[in-house]
Amino acid sequence: MTVKIVTDSLGDIPSDVAQELGITIIPLTVHFGEEVYRDGVDLTTEQFYQKLLKSKALPTTQIASLGVFVQTYDKLAEESDEILVIANSQKMSASHEAMVEAVGKMKRPCRVEVIDSQWTVMAQGLIVIAAAKAAKKGAGIDELAALTEKNISRADVRMAFETLNYLEEGGRIGKARAFLGSRLKVTPILGIREGETFPFSREHSRARAIDHLYYFATSFSHIDEMAVEHATTPKEADALAKRLKSQFPKTHIYRTMVSPVIGAHVGPRVLGVAVLGDRG
Amino acid sequence: MTPTKSIDGQDLREMFAAAASWLEKSSADIDALNVFPVPDGDTGTNMLLTMRSTVEESQLAADHSVSSVAKAMSKGALVGARGNSGVILSQIFSGLSQAVDGKDAITGKELADALAKASTVAYAGLSNPVEGTILTVIREASEAAQAHAATVSDDIVSIVEATVNAAKESVAKTPTLLPVLMEAGVVDAGGQGLYTILEGVLHYLKGEMEQLKLRRPWMVASSIPLTAKAPQMVGAEEVPYGYCTNFVIKGEGLNPDKLRKRLEKRGQSVIVVGDDSAVRVHIHTLDPGDVVSYVVPLGTLHQINIRNMDEQYRDFIEMQKERMPAVEVAIVAVVVGEGLANVFTSLGATFIVPGGQTMNPSTKDLLQAVEAVVSEKVIILPNNKNIVLTANQVQSLTKKTIEVVPTTTIPQGVAALLAFDYEADMETNAQNMNKAKAAVKSVEVTRAVRSTSLGGLDIKKKQAIGFLNGDLVAVGDKPDAVVQDVLARLNLDEVEVITIYYGDDTTSAEAEEVGDALDKQHSQLQVEVVQGGQPYYNYIVSVE
Repeated sequence: MTVKIVTDSLGDIPSDVAQELGITIIPLTVHFGEEVYRDGVDLTTEQFYQKLLKSKALPTTQIASLGVFVQTYDKLAEESDEILVIANSQKMSASHEAMVEAVGKMKRPCRVEVIDSQWTVMAQGLIVIAAAKAAKKGAGIDELAALTEKNISRADVRMAFETLNYLEEGGRIGKARAFLGSRLKVTPILGIREGETFPFSREHSRARAIDHLYYFATSFSHIDEMAVEHATTPKEADALAKRLKSQFPKTHIYRTMVSPVIGAHVGPRVLGVAVLGDRG
Repeated sequence: MTPTKSIDGQDLREMFAAAASWLEKSSADIDALNVFPVPDGDTGTNMLLTMRSTVEESQLAADHSVSSVAKAMSKGALVGARGNSGVILSQIFSGLSQAVDGKDAITGKELADALAKASTVAYAGLSNPVEGTILTVIREASEAAQAHAATVSDDIVSIVEATVNAAKESVAKTPTLLPVLMEAGVVDAGGQGLYTILEGVLHYLKGEMEQLKLRRPWMVASSIPLTAKAPQMVGAEEVPYGYCTNFVIKGEGLNPDKLRKRLEKRGQSVIVVGDDSAVRVHIHTLDPGDVVSYVVPLGTLHQINIRNMDEQYRDFIEMQKERMPAVEVAIVAVVVGEGLANVFTSLGATFIVPGGQTMNPSTKDLLQAVEAVVSEKVIILPNNKNIVLTANQVQSLTKKTIEVVPTTTIPQGVAALLAFDYEADMETNAQNMNKAKAAVKSVEVTRAVRSTSLGGLDIKKKQAIGFLNGDLVAVGDKPDAVVQDVLARLNLDEVEVITIYYGDDTTSAEAEEVGDALDKQHSQLQVEVVQGGQPYYNYIVSVE
């Protein structure tokens, strides 16, 4: 029996990939005042950024209600007796907490393992994709949990930001607060360390920031999975993906967009590269 | 949603119980906001303990009327208040209780008026109310509540929503009112605490029980970005803070106003609140024994709590370190001009030594800066060719490890600073910074101090002269024209970024004009005009 793989929508996994690999994604919600949208279900990234431009107040985000998690688990438990849940970094969202709590409220007997990925965006997504691929090949839950724990230390991500205001307003600035307040217009490159936002570099132009992302990826000697994701700049993302493809011709590069919930925290013009692989 | 038109005592009790559990989730984050020497060690914890006592006492109310519950809460807050913000919070509950006296239930308008009364009473408790604190937040929040109730809606949920939004905005701008907050790049802790309490109330009124359980309150971001960096704060001189002393006096015929005046001579941050039968005192003093002996004859003392603030300060410094990336390496930069100094600080320079072309700092000046920072490893950016040698001397005079990245211009210094990597060690950083400095071209324009002939150019005194990477290449009557002349010698089509720092004798309009002209001629360029405020140099331009 195939182990079911569950994650939250913060991993930015494209829906066709999720469908193909049998990944269940529990969407978070975006709130524009009284209007509530399920991440990537009722609202696409494009629609989100259009609304963001028009909206006076910043949108807020929430995890799904506990009931949704419980129902999702129970439904999957009809088809399998093992579920692996891979959550967004618990330092960044309450998703992990709810995922753990929901296990105790299930009606059906089923073994559920919840793992904190310590990542977000496609760094989380790639870990989930790797687990789903292994599950499809018949790996058991213990094997999958071990693989996932190992992959957590093999994942990495860098993102070029247009502004840090959204991260700061949304309380996700983490250690990148060191980059706040720059008197010069710079493009901050952030990543994640120990589950929190971490400041890596500041580039003086957008072009150099994109170079930085490129060299970040090429610093890996071996790459299992790679993703290029963007918010509002598909052409830039395409160009970067093309550059990377010529360097890594055998690697499939997932092309994704940040989900609306991630978008609410990163703002427009974010461009990122996520890698699951080994350095040196 | 059906509008909520009134709340009774039971609602009041439960909404503040919800607020207390909401506050509990972020009390540690609020503790982390404390800025010494702004008094009060653990604001989040203190406010939480005050709230707990308030909620516990509310269970003992005589009946379920708003009046009785508010009275009980006010009493609970007074006896349970801890710390500066806790005591002010108790005044807020006292004001609420006075405003709803005798009422079974209250409408939205009455709630808004009660918040206004709370604000008035909170201000009255202090001999010297300070803006940019919890006081400003309660005042602005209550004003928004009254305005909303008067003009928009009498629905209690929407009134409280307006109150919460106003509180959030008010918290965000506390650093503009209180310089110590601005320096530390944080918002006022007590204000954040009050905002969190009001938000908890709102969650309860909206019936958002799951949010209360699973989410965490968010910390309001400072509207002013952080410029001072943690290592600098750690290096601050140690001033004794003394003891944070708290107690309640119970007795007869007590006079809080008179007591406050007497105590002001014995310490700082004095807060005295209460009535003729019970008075709560909060004071920072170097001699708590003196304060206690003074009040003993007035009545009986309860809940005596004396804490060593110097110890709290050390804990606080440790906690602050957690919030920033661990930086083992400090950066000392030689810069003149307020705008330029701000640029360097905002990009992470730990210490600025004033100096430049006409004001070379001594080795001793640099050594003092190196010794002043906490880090054992220090990178020096001299930013002038006459200062590089001086900087190289510092290593022989200190036990700390020094790397001089020999930047000879401001643009080189900025490029080097931007290349600093929080994850890398000092050697790697020095290498990266050297590489970055080499990639930038510098243009400087100043006035000739005397007539001369140099590099094939005839220069009259006071004419504008332009340098490219330190070499004199252009002369002219107007600095703007000279800047353009020097830039014209570079292939600007291959350049990505130009940053123009204009000096203190150049207007922003003049500088903007130079920038606009470049923008028009080269569409691929990112041109930025920044006030540098440097003396003598009309323009310093970085070309990358």
